[in-house]
Amino acid sequence: MIINQVIATILQTILVLALAPFAVGLVRFLKARLQGRRGPSPFLPYWALATMFRKEMVISESASWVFRAAPFVVFASSLALVFMLPLVYRFGIFGGIADFLVISGILMLGSIFLVLGGIDSASAFGGMGSSREMTLAALSESSVVLIFATLSFINGSFKIDNLFGAQSVFSHPYLLLSMFAFILISLAENARYPVDNPATHLELTMVHEAMTIEYSGRYLALLEYASALKLTAFLILIANFLFPALSSEALGFGSGLMALVWTIAKVVVLCAALALFETVFVKMRFYRMNEYLSLAFFVSLLGLVVTLSVVGLNFDYATILAGLTILFVVFLFGQVRLSAILRYYALSSLAIAAIAFNLSLMSDRAEATHLWIFAAMTIIIKSIFVPIIVRAAQRRQKFVANLQSFLRPTSSYFLAIFLAVAIFFAMQQSAVVNIIGWNVMIYVAVVLLVLGLATMIIHRNIFSQIMGLFVVENGITIFILATVKSLPLLLELGIFAVVAISTIILSILSSQVREQYSSTDTENLRNLIE
Amino acid sequence: MNFFIIALVFSAALVSFVLPQPKITRRIAGIFAALNFGAVLFFVWPYLSGAQKSFNGGWWFIDGFSALMLLLVAMLYLAASLVSNRYIKHEREEGAINDNRVKLYFSLLHLFALSMFTVLLSNNTLLLWIALEMTTLSSVFLVGLYKRKTSVEAAWKYAIICSTGITLGLIGILLLGYGSGFSGSEASAIFSLSALAEKAATIPAAIAKLAFVFIFIGFGVKVGLAPMHSWLPDAHSEAPSPISAFFSGILLNVALYAIIRFQVLTNTILGDNHWTINFFLVFGTLSVLLPVFMMIIQKNFKRLLAYSSIEHMGLILLALSVPPLGIIAAIIHMIGHTLIKSSLFFGAGEILLTYKTTAIDKVRNIFKTIPRTGVLFVLGILAIIGLPPTALFVSEYTMFTALLQTHVWLAIVIFAALSAIAFAMLRLTIIMTLPSDAEAPVAGVKEKWNVTHVVMITEIALVLALSFWFTSDSGLNFINGIASNLF
Repeated sequence: MIINQVIATILQTILVLALAPFAVGLVRFLKARLQGRRGPSPFLPYWALATMFRKEMVISESASWVFRAAPFVVFASSLALVFMLPLVYRFGIFGGIADFLVISGILMLGSIFLVLGGIDSASAFGGMGSSREMTLAALSESSVVLIFATLSFINGSFKIDNLFGAQSVFSHPYLLLSMFAFILISLAENARYPVDNPATHLELTMVHEAMTIEYSGRYLALLEYASALKLTAFLILIANFLFPALSSEALGFGSGLMALVWTIAKVVVLCAALALFETVFVKMRFYRMNEYLSLAFFVSLLGLVVTLSVVGLNFDYATILAGLTILFVVFLFGQVRLSAILRYYALSSLAIAAIAFNLSLMSDRAEATHLWIFAAMTIIIKSIFVPIIVRAAQRRQKFVANLQSFLRPTSSYFLAIFLAVAIFFAMQQSAVVNIIGWNVMIYVAVVLLVLGLATMIIHRNIFSQIMGLFVVENGITIFILATVKSLPLLLELGIFAVVAISTIILSILSSQVREQYSSTDTENLRNLIE
Repeated sequence: MNFFIIALVFSAALVSFVLPQPKITRRIAGIFAALNFGAVLFFVWPYLSGAQKSFNGGWWFIDGFSALMLLLVAMLYLAASLVSNRYIKHEREEGAINDNRVKLYFSLLHLFALSMFTVLLSNNTLLLWIALEMTTLSSVFLVGLYKRKTSVEAAWKYAIICSTGITLGLIGILLLGYGSGFSGSEASAIFSLSALAEKAATIPAAIAKLAFVFIFIGFGVKVGLAPMHSWLPDAHSEAPSPISAFFSGILLNVALYAIIRFQVLTNTILGDNHWTINFFLVFGTLSVLLPVFMMIIQKNFKRLLAYSSIEHMGLILLALSVPPLGIIAAIIHMIGHTLIKSSLFFGAGEILLTYKTTAIDKVRNIFKTIPRTGVLFVLGILAIIGLPPTALFVSEYTMFTALLQTHVWLAIVIFAALSAIAFAMLRLTIIMTLPSDAEAPVAGVKEKWNVTHVVMITEIALVLALSFWFTSDSGLNFINGIASNLF
């Protein structure tokens, strides 16, 4: 057994060490192709590293031993990750000690020394990069803890092998929330878009490249190799999480060999995904990083909350969809651009349609037909018609709708989460809930209601008021699904007609307000106050 | 029969929309409304006279109370259509609106009346909700008819505040249905008012209470109860005067009708009325007291009338909170307020057409400039502050009789508030009758009799006549018959 474990760990280490430069090169290559360039060969990083290892180093006179030690510590930490994480095989020789706290400790050790190395050279860029890196690390650390907490709650273990190896994502689909947060954090940890630009030294907002800017020769090679290893490890981890069946315990020769092949396939697929992502998205301003990372935090928090409330109860897909509905509305709550608000509104309506469809699977024939019509109407009216009409009203006025708000996006997210939690506890106390029992859908309905009203109050803008009204209306739609499931068909169509007519009327009215006041700020609507 | 009413009003809206000639659109509105009035009178008479108790046709329901409200809507619909003909013609000639707006105005006027009829006829809670929401949606552009800054602002506030309120009311309706379905009612019965009342004993009290809170607050926005009244003065002062009359006279009553229907239902569920009438007492008091301050400092006569509407809704609520005598007072007050307030808004429209302003400072010497409107307007003001012998005096007297038995101190406070309001309204009216220091704003064209005066005279005469009839035995029996539906 132990021999098997040792061999497995050695094989895993060799494979990842060998793959890492290729992964980095592949991302660059695919990105170049997607951008219409030829791009260098994906194998170029091997030559680059080899060249750098042979080159002479230039080290600043003011640098201390820390500067010299940093590359080794950073590389060692990456190497330790490769040893311990269940990348190719689970239950390797170090599986016994690979606790999630150990893993995050090792990750932290690496970044701390990278930061110290950046500061130690006493160059302006190094210090700047280090300070930024620490900001990001501090913001992302909490999300990492929450993600691991969620996973360990489900698997009943703190061992990283159990957390990422078990077949959990299909039996607990709400883990996708944690997964999403994990992907966001991984991008930040590995200094990829939208947090950092790995391709250039020219940008003033560089983070990782700024810290390594004083290094050269062997040390630089070590640092680059370390970051390639880390990237590869994270990519494989994500793949293992999504497709756990493809990683295996080191059982025998045949399956062990297959695992190596699968690993290469995973790396290639995820590199392609990363390249595509980096082609489509742009880097964010550094000052928007707090939004990005608080998003990650809230998604992971929501994942934890949903997990806590679902595990042990009767689990159904409606719960995830309900969670998604809330999530989209929380996003909507923090947005300032009308198009983004409309997008999240459409998405949350889509989730509601999915809830109706899901309900129809459990209902008898007549009711199921009703629910299908309901779902179809929801998609047509709320996901398509409303966004198109409201956007058309905005387009006609030829201005970019930036909706003024009392709160900054981050505080909006905090407020939204606070409200959601407060409603949870308030509802536990309410007499009505005592009668009808706890129902997650009713909870979602109330949250949407409150968030919709809050949107109308916080954003003093005519478009936000329209959208707030529709969010309230969506809350009621969920309420209908949760309580009476389906209405008589005629009345159901009547309610949809009311939504459609209000959309048109409010859109026309908003154009008129804009024409008369040349602004959409409701603060200006103050002619009639005496 | 109710299909006939609905079809008639709907075809009126359709014809108004389709007809190419705005002039014809204007004229046929009165014909349609008159036909409708005749049909409604014929239809509701058995229920009003007590010959028939109630009618329940599944989706439709009618009893003495809804019959009375239907008649009032039909009456104001007729009055508003007649006055609109003159008012809109005048505005078109002035160039304040174009032909398309004239057509829009009349189509929406008919749709607006249609949705109010539907609210009153409906036995289905969801249909009632849809119709109530349609009253808002159909009247948004009536409020914002003029493309002015202030009109658009008023329309915006009206649309957003009322839509939000009524949407909240829907939660109450769904909760009631859920509570009923929860205790085993069939799916088809949970949204029917009459079926809910039959199954009342099985609905959990906690759910019914929560539902009533949502319905009261939500629909209360539409009634214009303080402190949810912020849209009301804006919408009433910016809408064209016939629409203000329609709003103030009957729309508020229709929304209140919906609340009362659910209150009766909630009372049946809870077994007594102590819980629900507390709402009426609190919001009624607030709605009487808050407008007082605004009325004393008011400088705009249409806003003054709008605040007066809030106050009168408060009085009706207060009356409803002291049953059984108060219910009689509330019904008389609804009738009297509908007639008098609409005639005042019609009069305000005439003043506005002559002086081109709603600011009281600029309106002087109305007895000289527009003697007929002036006299009728002042008579209306005297009636609205409850001077005898008007129906409003009868109702307020009855209400205070009931209120003094239960809440003495509150009655005294309300009495003081009413005095302050009477002072505010009289002061402003007297200013309007005084000769101006500057030259006369309007050249001395002698005022002629027109349709508005006829409508105003009819309404004021009706209020005077009713005050005598209501104090007689047959009148009291009539009101008692209607009030018996509300216990």
